[in-house]
Amino acid sequence: MAIQVSGITKQFGSFRALDSVDLEVRSGELLALLGPSGSGKTTLLRIMAGLEFADSGSLQLHGEEALGLSPRERQVGFVFQHYALFRHMTVFDNVAFGLKVRPRGQRFTTAEIRRRVMELLELVQLAHFADRYPAQLSGGQRQRVALARALAIEPKVLLLDEPFGALDAKVRKELRRWLRKLHEDIHITSVFVTHDQEEALELADRVVVMSQGRIEQVGSPAEVYDRPASAFVYEFLGQVNRFDCVVADGVAKAANGAICIPADGTVRGPAIAYVRPHDLGLSPSAGGPGRVSGIHVVGPDARVEIDLAGLPLEAEMDRERLSVLGLRPGDQCAVHIDRARVFPQP
Amino acid sequence: MHAKKAAGFAPALADSRWVKGLLIASALAFLLLFLVLPLVSVFVEALRRGTDAYWAALVEPDAVAAIKLTLIVAAIAVPMNLVFGVAASWCIAKFDFRGKDLLITLIDLPFSVSPVISGLIYVLLFGLHGLMGPFLKSQGIQIIFAVPGLVLATVFVTFPFVARELIPLMQEQGNEEEEAALVLGASGWQTFWRVTLPNIKWGLLYGVLLCNARAMGEFGAVSVVSGHIRGETNTMPLHVEILYNEYNLVAAFAVASVLAMLALVTLVVKTVLEWRFGAELAATRH
Repeated sequence: MAIQVSGITKQFGSFRALDSVDLEVRSGELLALLGPSGSGKTTLLRIMAGLEFADSGSLQLHGEEALGLSPRERQVGFVFQHYALFRHMTVFDNVAFGLKVRPRGQRFTTAEIRRRVMELLELVQLAHFADRYPAQLSGGQRQRVALARALAIEPKVLLLDEPFGALDAKVRKELRRWLRKLHEDIHITSVFVTHDQEEALELADRVVVMSQGRIEQVGSPAEVYDRPASAFVYEFLGQVNRFDCVVADGVAKAANGAICIPADGTVRGPAIAYVRPHDLGLSPSAGGPGRVSGIHVVGPDARVEIDLAGLPLEAEMDRERLSVLGLRPGDQCAVHIDRARVFPQP
Repeated sequence: MHAKKAAGFAPALADSRWVKGLLIASALAFLLLFLVLPLVSVFVEALRRGTDAYWAALVEPDAVAAIKLTLIVAAIAVPMNLVFGVAASWCIAKFDFRGKDLLITLIDLPFSVSPVISGLIYVLLFGLHGLMGPFLKSQGIQIIFAVPGLVLATVFVTFPFVARELIPLMQEQGNEEEEAALVLGASGWQTFWRVTLPNIKWGLLYGVLLCNARAMGEFGAVSVVSGHIRGETNTMPLHVEILYNEYNLVAAFAVASVLAMLALVTLVVKTVLEWRFGAELAATRH
């Protein structure tokens, strides 16, 4: 176990940022902390780095209690959202910083520092920018310098705070792939914070979904997407139709009986049902209960808005499928639900 | 409609050259009348009886003592305010704490209080009939009408210069670079010397320069605590006043010209720094 978080609590004034959080980070994995702003994910990451103090709980880094250690003693690499490069230093000096500030006895020779820094700059493909200043680099390049700088101290774990948050969409995607590949090459235990579910699902080995200072679910990207543990996770991950229903005898009914879906045996009475747009099947039927109220085509996909006995729903399919069905706005149709989840009313 | 508007603008645009010329001319005339002319007259008056009289006024023992004292006071007050200023702005810019707004207001206090009152505060505190006067007298320590009083008054008056210059700069730069340095293994001192200080050095130099100019030129507060003892507690501005009141115009203007030259040097260095500082700030801003 690389990082063991138990019962970490953090309060900012009257705001509870973290509420007794337990989490295990496995050696060598790439873990995503995913949640909306204010969910406590960045606070948790900063506590791991020692940049924020926990009110209570315990944090073990590789089996060693770390809450009492200062950031410099923890040997973690930290990558900031806005890079936090030293603006008055060249790229080379930025990456060399962690090696140059070591106490005299543990410091490498100048030649060795130079060799290591250049090796890291090769790794992040910026060797020919060694003499530039951060202001002369693009956002993506700066973040790669920040990564090289964090790796220079040979950290036991790498912590990344919204590492792609300040980049534009295209660069973000490139850098994401690049980071995934880098992680496959060097296999350093890494935790990154993001509010972008697509980023978390694509990049991480495991995803931790957080909300209001608590962990809602921990699991592989497929697990959290296919089997959300709570209503929050269902709503936060991907598009979803959410509607009120009433459960009786293991069947949830909604839209005046137009929808009947099997429900978990533990739920009874008023409840909330979740259906992903791509789990909603449509077929043209003149006497069907649904009516197509709108169609939006986005790239290769089509989103079909349906009015089912007064209940607005959204279905998603590819454009080919839509043209096979031949649905047009105003058409009546039958609606069948392939997969749904029912949660009790909160 | 649009054509009409454009037509309406055209004469204004044609006039602009004329307006521009007038504005520049009036600004120049104003500068000439209120800044350049008095400055030139200082040197003209000082050299009225030739360079020999000018030199004589400067090497006269009381004048030398005044110049020395001014340098001593500045040499103590400026480093003190350098340290205080950096410490205060560090703590205001990098930390959140209760009473922060009050501290910022307090730092500005010397700017809003009349220098005479700043001097008077120290007389009331440390003077013979002041709050701590009897105690200080029994210990044989003299503050008022002596160098310590001059230093205290100068420190008080010039306190805001460094802090005022640094607070906005440090606030804009934020904490992240320091945090990055700490995580990379730097100690507090290493972080300060290698990250914080290089980031603020131009702003700091600028603040120190202004602080120094004011420390050497301060009149009001210093006048109250000095006691005007010739050759002992007279700084240059006070010496100028005494000479002037004695109708010794050549000597008064000779000493004044030294102060004026200090101002000119400060101005030149400040301009160079602004040019340097501006370029560096633009280059290093994210």
